[in-house]
Parts: sequence; structure tokens; C-alpha cells
Amino acid sequence: MNHRTSTLFALLIAALWAWWQLDLKFIDLFPTKGGAQIARDFFSAAWRPAVDYQSEFVPEGAPPFLWIVLQGMLRTIYFATAAMTLAVVVGVPLSALGSRLAPPWVRIPVRILVGGMRSVHELLWAIFFLAAIGFNSGAAVIALAIPYAGTLAKIGAEMLDETSDRAYHAMRGFGTGKLTAFIAGLLPQATPDLAGYTFYRFECAIRSSAVLGFFGYETAGYYLKASFENLHYQEVWTWLYAFVLLVLFLEAWSGQLRRRFVA
Amino acid sequence: MQSVSLQRGDTKVFQNFNLQVQHGEQVALVGPSGAGKTSLLRMMAGGIPAESGDILHGDASFAGATPKELRSLRARVGFIHQDHALVPNLRVCSNIVAGRFGRQGLLPALRALIAPTQETRLEVLQLLDQVGIGDKIYHRVDSLSGGEQQRVAIVRALFQKPDALLADEPVASVDPERARDVIGILTKVAQEHNLTLVVSIHDIALAREFFPRVVGLRQGKIMFDAAPLDLQEGQLQELYSIQTK
Repeated sequence: MNHRTSTLFALLIAALWAWWQLDLKFIDLFPTKGGAQIARDFFSAAWRPAVDYQSEFVPEGAPPFLWIVLQGMLRTIYFATAAMTLAVVVGVPLSALGSRLAPPWVRIPVRILVGGMRSVHELLWAIFFLAAIGFNSGAAVIALAIPYAGTLAKIGAEMLDETSDRAYHAMRGFGTGKLTAFIAGLLPQATPDLAGYTFYRFECAIRSSAVLGFFGYETAGYYLKASFENLHYQEVWTWLYAFVLLVLFLEAWSGQLRRRFVA
Repeated sequence: MQSVSLQRGDTKVFQNFNLQVQHGEQVALVGPSGAGKTSLLRMMAGGIPAESGDILHGDASFAGATPKELRSLRARVGFIHQDHALVPNLRVCSNIVAGRFGRQGLLPALRALIAPTQETRLEVLQLLDQVGIGDKIYHRVDSLSGGEQQRVAIVRALFQKPDALLADEPVASVDPERARDVIGILTKVAQEHNLTLVVSIHDIALAREFFPRVVGLRQGKIMFDAAPLDLQEGQLQELYSIQTK
């Protein structure tokens, strides 16, 4: 058995072992009779997204449903923007300190720190900071910012490592200081890729910010969860469509900005 | 260079090597690949330290220089790389102002990079005009031809206001006609700015045409050091033929 075959065989054994440990049966992958009915109700509502509350008991003076959708989406963006700003401020310097340009005594501890930051999911950080700081916006922003800063630092360091360092070393050659040579000789070359990746992470932060609603923050996820629990599937679809539109808009906007950086 | 020795790995590149270049002199270094031309230039620029001996730049010595003194010495030597070593996605002007970063602190350097003063831009423009590409000042470097990029690298080195210009195979990647242009420009601006010029070059004809002094280097030793008219064909044949043995 050659190396490739033995690797494939080991992966197959690992997969079978996981299925056996979870007591998974193929039939479990399909919905039950009750579940199928829920799925039918849910997907049939996709054609009729709500433009008003589905509930018959709406308090007097409550803002229109679509206004609530707009506010929820805006709060989702606020959390994501605040978290990404913090992540960039922390992550970009860490990417430089974790790149091969930094001496080993700096690079290695930074890479360990970055590994720790990104190995814990933002939702787990949220649980931790909610307990440590309490229920406020700061806890949610820090919870999102830590793993995002870690991921930016790791990918950023790899991008810097792959960038040609000829101009950097040429500048060092005529006496330029390390930081100046880094900012003037290396960073401009890595900026288009770094910016592109940061925009991608911003889209991820929007999704994570929405999920923070499950912890009680008034982002899109908060309202989505409430609508789902009340079986108001048409409202759920309105939220989902609004979310898809937001992500598509961000994709188009970030694509335009990326092109401007590269051009 | 006085009694300079250098070892790279197991190879002794130079042993008790001596070379003296007067201020304002123009010297072509010729020799086969692996002769030590690049190492010699990098030592002269303070890029790699000699293991023994000393490299003197005027009265200043590279040997035993503190990091601060070394930075200051490097700022006095302009180096033109074979592959230009420019930042491709920055404008020509931004690449050129970088030439003076060795003499500037971080903040003035960043200010010059992001928003150069009118005076700086005029100075850059005048230098670019001298090499015939004044109209390219706001072009991105990666939109220029190889020959134009080499001129930008020359101007960056000139903007540095060095005492000496060193160029490592500056025409290795351009066609023969443009190579002639580039070497012509290099020798002309060095003369106009009263700079010492040392250029490693493969093309013996160009070396003989443009330089008043040609130094033949092989395996870290000077095979000849002569004016072009005094060079014998036999010396050149020996310089290259022995390498193939």
C-alpha cells in the first residue's frame, strides 16, 4: 500500500469511526413526518415574504415591520463594523510582527498568540465575555474582534511572506529604517490582497454579528429567532432576503473597492 | 578596499583583496558569472560585512561602524539593482522619494511618500527629465517598460544624493540597444553629479566604450585593471576561457 492509498484509507476509517460514535443512520439525514410538514410550511412561505407583522397582536404604536427590519440590519452592520475596525487595528500590526521579517523572538510568540486568538470561535468568546463583562455592546464587539484579528494576523503574515521583499531590502540597503522600509517597500505591495481579504472578513463579520442576536443583541438574528420560534415563516423569509441583499450589496461594494486598490 | 576577505559557505570569495577607486572615477567590473562581482558591490555598499580587512569610504570606515554609522554610510552609496527593486504598484514619484529615506525619520519619510512637497516633486521631475522620462512621474511603475523602470531605479539612486553609485548588472534584462542607452545615461549622470560609478557588466564592448577603467574579476581575484585601450584580447580570453575549464 503506497502513501496516498494508506492516507485515503485512514481518512475513510476516521469518517466511519465518527459516524459510529454519533450513532448516525442514513435515514436520520431525512426529515421526519412532522419535520417534513414544517419544511413544507417554511419553504412555501419563501414566495410570500412578510411586509407587515404576521402576529395578530401588535402593540399600538409599534413601528412598521419593515422599519424594524431596517433597524435590525443596521445594528448588524454596526456591530460588524465596530468589531472589524478593532480587528484591523490589532490584526495588521500583528501580521507584520508574525511575518518572516520579524526576528524569531518576536515572530514565534506572536504566532502562538494569534493561534490562540483564532482557535476559539467568536460565539464561544461571546459566551465568555458576556459572563466576564456583562450584557453590553462592548462584550459582543470584543468577542467578534478577537478571532477576526487573529485570522487577519495569520493570513496577513502569510501574504506579507509571499510578497516580494526586493524593494524592502533595497531600501534597507541605502540606510532606511526597518519600519519605514516595511511601510514604504512591502506594505504597498501586499495592500491589495490584504484589503481584499479584510473585505471578505467583513462579510463574515456581518454573518457573525447577525448570529449574536441569538444571545439577545438586537441584530438581525434576534428578530429572526423570534419570528422562527413563533412560526412566522413569512417574517423569517423577509429577514433572510434582507440579509442576502445586504451581503450582495457588500460583495458588489467591496469588489469595486478591491478593483480600485489593484488598478 | 584594503586586504578584504570574504567567505560564503565553504567558498572563499575574496582573500586579501585590494581595490582603490578615486572619487568621481567610473569603473566597469567585468568577469564571468561567479567571479564575485555582486559580492564585491554589496560589500562596497555595506550590504555584507567583510570578514577581515576594511572598506573605506572617504575617511569613513565600514569596519567596526556602529549600526547608526553603518546606516549613515549606506545612505551615501546609491545601489542600482539588476531587477530594479522598485515597488511595482506605487507611482514613479513615490518610488523615487524613497531614495532619501535613509536620511529621514519615519514621519518625514511617510509624508514624502504620501504627499511630497512641490519642491520635492520639482526635484524628482528634473532628475526624471535628465534620464528622458519626465512625463512618467505619476505613472505606476508596473506600467513602464523594463528600460524605463531601470531609469527610475537610477533616478531613485540619484535622489539619494550619494557620493558613489554602484550598479549590479543594470542592463542584464534589457535588449542591446536599450542597454547602450541605460549605460550612456548612467555614465552621463554620474559625471554631471560628480559621482563615483562602479558598474558590473557582462557586455565587454559596452564596458570598453563607456568606461575609462575596466577591472577584470575572476574567482575573487583581479585579472586586469586597465584603460580600455590598453586591454589585450588575450586578457579577455583568459578571463572567460579559464572559467570553462
